[in-house]
Amino acid sequence: MNAIGRTAVAVLRNGWGILLLIIVWQAWVTAMNFNAIVMPRPLGVLQDLIGFPEVYWKNAVYTIGAAVIGLVLGMALGTGLAILAWLSDVLEGMLTPLTVLFSSVPVVTIIPIVARLLGYDFSTVLAIVVIICFFPAFVFTTSGLKALPAGADDLFRVLGARTPARLLRLALPAAVPNWSVALRVAAGHAVLGAMIAEYLMGTAGLGYLFAETKSDFNMERAFGATAVAMVVSILFFAAALAVERRVKERWN
Amino acid sequence: MTAAIHVDRARKTFDLGKGKSVEALAGVSLEVRPGEFVAIIGPSGCGKSTILRLIGSLEEPTAGTVTIDGRPPRELAGAHRLGVAFQDHALLPWLSVWQNVTLPLQVAGVKPDDAKIAALIRLVGLEGFEKARPRQLSGGMRQRAAIARALVLGPEVLLLDEPFAALDAVTRRYMNIELQRIWTESRITTLLVTHGVDEALFLADRIVVMSGRPGRIIENLDIDFPRPRMPALMRTPAFHALYDHLADLLEPAAAENEPVAGGGES
Ligand SMILES: Nc1ncnc2c1ncn2[C@@H]1O[C@H](COP(=O)(O)OP(=O)(O)OP(=O)(O)O)[C@@H](O)[C@H]1O
Ligand SMILES: [Mg+2]
Repeated sequence: MNAIGRTAVAVLRNGWGILLLIIVWQAWVTAMNFNAIVMPRPLGVLQDLIGFPEVYWKNAVYTIGAAVIGLVLGMALGTGLAILAWLSDVLEGMLTPLTVLFSSVPVVTIIPIVARLLGYDFSTVLAIVVIICFFPAFVFTTSGLKALPAGADDLFRVLGARTPARLLRLALPAAVPNWSVALRVAAGHAVLGAMIAEYLMGTAGLGYLFAETKSDFNMERAFGATAVAMVVSILFFAAALAVERRVKERWN
Repeated sequence: MTAAIHVDRARKTFDLGKGKSVEALAGVSLEVRPGEFVAIIGPSGCGKSTILRLIGSLEEPTAGTVTIDGRPPRELAGAHRLGVAFQDHALLPWLSVWQNVTLPLQVAGVKPDDAKIAALIRLVGLEGFEKARPRQLSGGMRQRAAIARALVLGPEVLLLDEPFAALDAVTRRYMNIELQRIWTESRITTLLVTHGVDEALFLADRIVVMSGRPGRIIENLDIDFPRPRMPALMRTPAFHALYDHLADLLEPAAAENEPVAGGGES
């Protein structure tokens, strides 16, 4: 009881603004007597969430799956290419402008192209998330590999370190703080990217659920999908933030 | 196994950009015999660190040559036979004291001997701080960790750039005695840059005095005090006589350096 009470107090303390907003919203919609298509009631959204959990969690799992796998692959790809660029000046000269060029193309315009190439299914959603996550991973890791502590480069030269030792014992550890920032940025974008792809072309996922229900004027479910998406985004962001905090603790 | 250092008419000019340059060393010649302990003293900015960086393969001379046992310093570094403690400690912030001290072995691909590492850490008085990170140490403790790291490879050449600068007098004295003991046991060819004339007199076989702008050697003084040297040595008249002689040598050089304002080196 005590633990539950304390949690409730903590939730109230941090979330009272949101709670107030929802109450005002409910009161306003009730007072104005809006149609649910114009503006759904928070209570109606909650009813739908509780009444049809399966619809929500199945689509959420789809979106979370795409976001997590895409985040991992995108981070791996960006980090890997940043390491290649670190190893070779020629590759760096090629990769850096290419990634900048590539990343400045709006995702929305890439989605139809990728969809035509990979098909209108999970692999396209995944590919979009990978593309979105790749860029921060590449940019932050590239600069992190060069952010060496004072005197460390001289030290490794005096120690007669060769490239593998310089990479593994100096450049990569030095890049970890920047890399964790990339993870936080990419985690935020991953869920969003997955949802945009689902919204535009998918056949499942929270983005698709939103698109579908919106066009059916089922606004309560559309808002429910949005609420679930928000929770998922916040969880991603919080997890990445926790990683970044731990890294900062150790590296500074 | 120790090595001879040979610096032959080495000049070093640094390009400052916009057509400006600074002459850090103007034809410096210095020979260090295998197993010799040489101390370099001189005013700030006279090129002491630059000499060490030339010998440590971190810098190439603009003219002249620098060799260790007749070969370029790069080769000794590549063979992991060089021990260096810089003016700034250069400890890796993400590693513990223990990991920082073992780093040279890992870079060299040598399996660390735990007992030996523990002994080194004890030697520099960091027992109990093995798991601490550099940021949790005082400046003097970081310097001592850097000294342990410089010694861990059992190097042929040891380059120390003001390694005790951040230490209090008592710890400094203790570290001097320990350094003498290590050097007596191993006879590593050692170059020590210091601002402490007494420290140089206590430790060195020979003291090289430099003057600045441009950096050159103005005195080469053999120090013949018998070894092992005890702290009581510092109270003998012979010690005081040499101290005064060296202090006099540093005096005009320092005055010469004075008029150039705002030359914030160190
Ligand atoms: N990388 C560099 N670029 C430009 N100038 C440099 C560089 N390194 C050293 N210098 C210059 O060379 C001169 C000698 O520097 P050095 O660091 O060798 O002096 P030092 O005798 O070690 O001084 P201190 O006792 O203050 O450490 C200084 O005038 C300095 O400004
Ligand atoms: Mg110096």
